[in-house]
Amino acid sequence: MFGGLKAKLQAARSRLGSSIQTVITAPAGAGTGGGQPEPGPKMEKSAVPPEPEQPTIVEKFKVLLIERELIVSEKDVADALSELELTLLESDVALPATDAIIAHVRKSLVGKHRKIGESVDSLVVGALKAALLKVLGKGFDLLDYIRTHPRPVKILFTGVNGTGKTTTVAKIGSYLKKQGFSVVIGAGDTYRAGAIEQIGVHAERLGIKVIQHPEGGDPSAVLFDAVQYAQSHKIDVVLADTAGRFHNKANLMSQLDKIKRVMKPDLVVYVDEAVAGNDAVTRAFEFDKTIGADAVVLTKADMDSRGGAAISIAHTIGKPLMFLGTGQSYDDIALFEPARVVEELLGDT
Amino acid sequence: MQPMDQRELMTLQHYLKEYGQQAEIFVSQLDMLENGRMEAMAAIEALEGMMATEDGVVLLQIGGGASVRAKILEPEKVMLAIGAEVIVERPNKDAVEFLKERIMEMEASQKKVAETLDRLRSQMNEINKRLETGYQQSMAAGQD
Repeated sequence: MFGGLKAKLQAARSRLGSSIQTVITAPAGAGTGGGQPEPGPKMEKSAVPPEPEQPTIVEKFKVLLIERELIVSEKDVADALSELELTLLESDVALPATDAIIAHVRKSLVGKHRKIGESVDSLVVGALKAALLKVLGKGFDLLDYIRTHPRPVKILFTGVNGTGKTTTVAKIGSYLKKQGFSVVIGAGDTYRAGAIEQIGVHAERLGIKVIQHPEGGDPSAVLFDAVQYAQSHKIDVVLADTAGRFHNKANLMSQLDKIKRVMKPDLVVYVDEAVAGNDAVTRAFEFDKTIGADAVVLTKADMDSRGGAAISIAHTIGKPLMFLGTGQSYDDIALFEPARVVEELLGDT
Repeated sequence: MQPMDQRELMTLQHYLKEYGQQAEIFVSQLDMLENGRMEAMAAIEALEGMMATEDGVVLLQIGGGASVRAKILEPEKVMLAIGAEVIVERPNKDAVEFLKERIMEMEASQKKVAETLDRLRSQMNEINKRLETGYQQSMAAGQD
């Protein structure tokens, strides 16, 4: 998952590390490339005091050693940061998220006093990890949400056509069942031929009750019935499937609005595919603006080498990423845990 | 031999249909990747061709099968969409390198999608075999 992004981030990590390393190891008199000396931080209580009569040598230092500490100047990391910026953009990370990551890394590295004993690599990795964690947000703990809300918890799934909504509903149903929750599925996609059949087969395989009406029926009525069923049978969670639609189709969006009014969902989950990259982010933004969304699920993450959508969606639309679809079987769904994703991208293994 | 339960036959038919729909999606993804790859290859050819021409004059297709002669003012500079809807100016050589990398990425994705498609197809074959057996058993039971 996100193999391309991982390789690029590892390269960016090395580049940032070596640009800092270069200035640490540069001989005092040699400078680091002949650029204009920049006004560095003032030196105080220097452990190895520079020659007071040779201030120009001091100016040539890009990293100042102050009481066994080093200070990285903005110029030291400018090229590496610019490269990191392009790397992120090339991986389809949305511009606002890229800007936020770069700003965070810059803030972490520039002007901060760091112990010399601390390795450059850990300095860089720490900064990159913190920046990624900041844009990835906290994720969304669905199990905790269900445990702390009145039952049944009603979850409405929305999104564009062909992104794997129905399969996602089945996967989440299977996941919740394994966690000990009772589940009912509402077959609210009454529009697409075979959709009711499809969710019916999934539900049968998983041993989950499905509420369905004939094809072409009113999806609001189906999902209302699913909620009624859950209430009367004390079911923990209602998973409401809906037909795929684009945010600019006014009639279909007003149908979704009606569904929302009728079934009063606790959560609206937007489903899109990770491979769509920045398009998924744009669509999620538009959906959130039009109908609202509380969380996002990205499918086909196993096929996505770039990882742009997963990195940027939470930061760009301000809604957490809840699950990543990672394959064909019911178990191929992973709770989105930012720390784990960051570790996977920047870890040594 | 005991004929296969009709409900099992129906379930198998549903599975087959569902796998068929999934396979269609993967086939269209493969098509998209292939189109992207071909487009990138054509772009590389054009960029390299531009640098090779002495006068910088190329045939510019304007749609409908019509082309005009156009002079490239700065063949060494290329506007390149690098992702996330961001366009940057790159030297011709770097743009070619970028496109070559993109082609490699697309080929890797194609390989993954093709593998998934193969798995789906083998599952579909398996279901087909079971369905065939079921039909034959049902027919045999009907003749008895």
